Amino acid sequence: MTATRSRSGSPSAGEGDTVAMRCKRCRGTVVIEVRRHNAAFCRDCFLHYVGQQVTRAIAKYRMAGHTDRLLVAVSGGKDSLALWDLLLELGYQADGLYLSLGIGAYSERSKAVCQEFAAERGATLLVHDLAGEHGYTIPEAAGKGGRSSCGVCGLSKRYVFNRAALDGGYDVVCTGHNLDDEAAVLFGNTLRWDTAAMARQFPVLEATRPGLVKKVKPLYRVAERETAAYCVLKGIDYVVEECPLVAGNTQMRHKETLNQMEEAAPGTKHNFLFGYLDRAAALLKVADDADLTECARCGMTTLAPEDPAAEAVCAFCRSKARLVKPLPIVEVASR
Amino acid sequence: MVVTARLRPPDRVVEVADVRRVADLLARLEVLQGAVLVIRDGALLTSQDELHDGDKVEVRFAISGGG
Repeated sequence: MTATRSRSGSPSAGEGDTVAMRCKRCRGTVVIEVRRHNAAFCRDCFLHYVGQQVTRAIAKYRMAGHTDRLLVAVSGGKDSLALWDLLLELGYQADGLYLSLGIGAYSERSKAVCQEFAAERGATLLVHDLAGEHGYTIPEAAGKGGRSSCGVCGLSKRYVFNRAALDGGYDVVCTGHNLDDEAAVLFGNTLRWDTAAMARQFPVLEATRPGLVKKVKPLYRVAERETAAYCVLKGIDYVVEECPLVAGNTQMRHKETLNQMEEAAPGTKHNFLFGYLDRAAALLKVADDADLTECARCGMTTLAPEDPAAEAVCAFCRSKARLVKPLPIVEVASR
Repeated sequence: MVVTARLRPPDRVVEVADVRRVADLLARLEVLQGAVLVIRDGALLTSQDELHDGDKVEVRFAISGGG
C-alpha cells in the first residue's frame, strides 16, 4: 500500500511525495491512522496501543486494582463494550450493568447486544429496568420537569449505577466516557464558565463519603473513532444506530465543532482536555467547596441545601417526584 | 467507476462516481475523516486506500451523543 505524506507526516491525498504508510510500531500493513499522534497502526499494534492507553489511564489515576470488583456501565454502544472487553482482557474482575431506559426497540436491541457480549465471554451482566424499579421511562420523562431527555437519562444512570454498585458490594463503577466525550463536556462547561461542573470533571471521582462508590473513566485517553475501530477489529457487535432521542443534543453539536477544529489541527481535542487535566483541574478542585449531605428521601449523597432548615432532597428524587405521580387516595368504606 | 457507500447512522445509501481513494470519497461526501470509519468487506480502510469500480463500502459515523 502506498500513501502520500505531507511535510508534517500526516497523509494527504494528491500532493507531496508518495511513500509507503507503515505501522509506527512494527512497520506492518496499516489499518488505521491516528492523526493526533501522527501515527498509523496495523491491527495488532492498534489493539496494543488502545490497551496501553487504558493501562496508562488506570495507573496514572490509580483507578482500580486487580483485587477490586469493578462494575462496568454498558449501553450496547461501542465505548462501553470496548471498555468491558479491555478490562476483561487486562485481567480485571469486571461485571456489566445494563439499565433499560424504555426506549422501545432501541432499548431491546441494546439489551440483547449486551447479553450476547456477556454470554460469549462467560461474564456476569446485571440488568436493571428504569420503569420497573422507578416507575418511568426516558421517553415519558422527555421534556417534563425542565430537563431534556438526555438530562433525565444521565441523572437516572448516575443514580442507578451508584445504587447498584453499593447494593452489589462493588468497589468501582467504570464508564465508557472517551476523549471526545470529555473534551465536548469540558468545551460546554467552559463556554458557560460552569466552574462547579468543571471541578467535578475528572477521570476519577473518589468515594469521599459513605453512600458514594468510586467512579472512573478508563477510556479518557482514547478517541471515540478509536473505540469504534477497536470494536470492528475485535469483531464486537455493538449498536451502531444512534439513540432516537439524541437529535439536537448539545454535546453532539459541541463534538461537531471540535471535530472541525481537529480536522484542521490534529491534536486540538487532546491538548484541550489534557491541558485542562494537567494544569487547571487542580485549581478548580481546590475552589470547589460543595457541602454534601444525605437525601432525606432515599439516603443517597447529595448537595446540602443553602438553607440549613430546608429538607435535603437529591436531584434524582426531585426529578422522580415530578415524573411519577402518587396514586390517588381512595377511601374505602369500612364494613 | 462507481462506488456504493452505505452511510450510517442514520442509514442511507449513495452512489459516488470517479473517486480514486477513500479520502476522495469522504471529500465528495463532505464527511470529516476523523469522524468516521470506512469499512469494506469487514476490513477497515485508511484514507489512502484505493477504491475500485463496483466497491461497496460502509461509512460509519463514530460520533455518539448522550449525557
